[in-house]
Amino acid sequence: MAAATLPNISSDLIWEVVRSNNSYLHKTGAASNGGVQFSRDPLNLTNVHSRKYAGFVNDKAVGIAPGEKGGVVVTSKKTAAAHQPSKSAAQTSIGGGKSTRKTYKAVAAQVAKTGYRADLRAAAIERASAIRRSQLPVKADPEPKLRGKKAKAAAAGES
Amino acid sequence: MASRPTVTIIGKDGAPSGATHTIPAVFASPIRPDIVKQVHTGMAKNKRQPYAVSEKAGHQTSAESWGTGRAVARIPRVSGSGTHRAGQAAFGNMCRSGRMFAPTKIWRKWHVKVNQGQKRYATCSALAASAAAPLLLARGHQVMTIPEVPLVIDSALVEGSSVARTAAALALLKAVGAGAELEKVKGSKKLRAGKGKLRGRRHRQRRGPLVVYNPEVDGKELVKGFRNIPGVETSPVSALNLLQLAPGGHLGRFVIWTSAAFKALDEIYGTTTTASTHKKDFLLPSNVVSQADLTRLINSSEIQSSLNAPKGDAVTRRSAVQKKNPLRNKQVLLRLNPYAKVFAQEAQKKQEA
Repeated sequence: MAAATLPNISSDLIWEVVRSNNSYLHKTGAASNGGVQFSRDPLNLTNVHSRKYAGFVNDKAVGIAPGEKGGVVVTSKKTAAAHQPSKSAAQTSIGGGKSTRKTYKAVAAQVAKTGYRADLRAAAIERASAIRRSQLPVKADPEPKLRGKKAKAAAAGES
Repeated sequence: MASRPTVTIIGKDGAPSGATHTIPAVFASPIRPDIVKQVHTGMAKNKRQPYAVSEKAGHQTSAESWGTGRAVARIPRVSGSGTHRAGQAAFGNMCRSGRMFAPTKIWRKWHVKVNQGQKRYATCSALAASAAAPLLLARGHQVMTIPEVPLVIDSALVEGSSVARTAAALALLKAVGAGAELEKVKGSKKLRAGKGKLRGRRHRQRRGPLVVYNPEVDGKELVKGFRNIPGVETSPVSALNLLQLAPGGHLGRFVIWTSAAFKALDEIYGTTTTASTHKKDFLLPSNVVSQADLTRLINSSEIQSSLNAPKGDAVTRRSAVQKKNPLRNKQVLLRLNPYAKVFAQEAQKKQEA
């Protein structure tokens, strides 16, 4: 029953209160005069401090994080449980076994196709893609080719 | 005012007790960070103690200026001979062992009077903000694990001496999901930078939850249980303080209410139309804009019906944006001279013949 909100609070108002300073905001060196402002909000898809991506402010927001065993975990906010923080997150994990193309399709289906936050489709896929790329096995560096004197010495040594 | 939502009262082990309570009217107060900031700045100054340098500092010498003609600056100089001090400049703020510039005085204006109406407005505003989960998160409280905002626990859990011991109080806080918040506070304890370390302010740490109780129902023993948990503060509901409700002037303190305290709020603060019984001539402040949701306002039928219809067609034809050369562009040529088609055909025939 506590889902109904009071009329004195809205995300518009909250944004005006928190936009200059909040616990997630990270102002880079020259932030006070024109630097980049980042956000540490887990529900922020681009990590940029802006109204559109401020997940903790907006009623509907999406966060994408790496899953524990590969893959990605998509978190979204339930509008009905805005006042119940412990119930407000809906999590879906998309396993690492799925091809990236299918992963993006699943992410887009959840974020945009249902009309939840259609404006976040591109950002969500970009983030999912970046996470998947980071999970690729790391290739070992090829052995450096010997050049000049060292190469001659090596050839002489072999023969 | 429209009907107010209800809040679940949390019972044992953090599970809902089944009972609910209508949210008190004070939570519908306007959220005004500007007022809260200003009132906080004033109120925070009212606990200061005067300090000043000694009245005599830098003036305990009989220095006199040497006047002109001695090829030294005209600053007062210490008289006599036999010590190194003789002949050195004195008194001035630029001098070694001179007095400071504008020596501090104990009669500095230390305290700031804040109007009672403003203080009450700010308190109401801070209380309203404590019911908004995003504002709690923005203040840095770890509240993603708590079942509800505002968090109200059953007074039966704290009555008498049931949480008079720290262990019991800690268990209660953990049961309602405040464990993460307590951990955050515990890990935040740092040595203070500067001289404050020597002046009884050795450490600095985050603020945790504020437990608000009703001393008439809950008793005062719970204070003893909570007082040694880092970051946790307690306050009787009848004496809520803005410095605790909005530390640093930032809205959104994590407040844990006992159900008795929560129920007392309507009596203490009244509503926008019925006066408070505890405060003389006090009505809750009203919102200037009763609906804060801009999207809802813009999309409301009242606004939409009074808007003008959009001007022009859905697709606007952009004529004469760029001039086309009729000698090169055949379509533009035909528009200017429809007979050009015949000319072209005749020219074609002539060529073939």
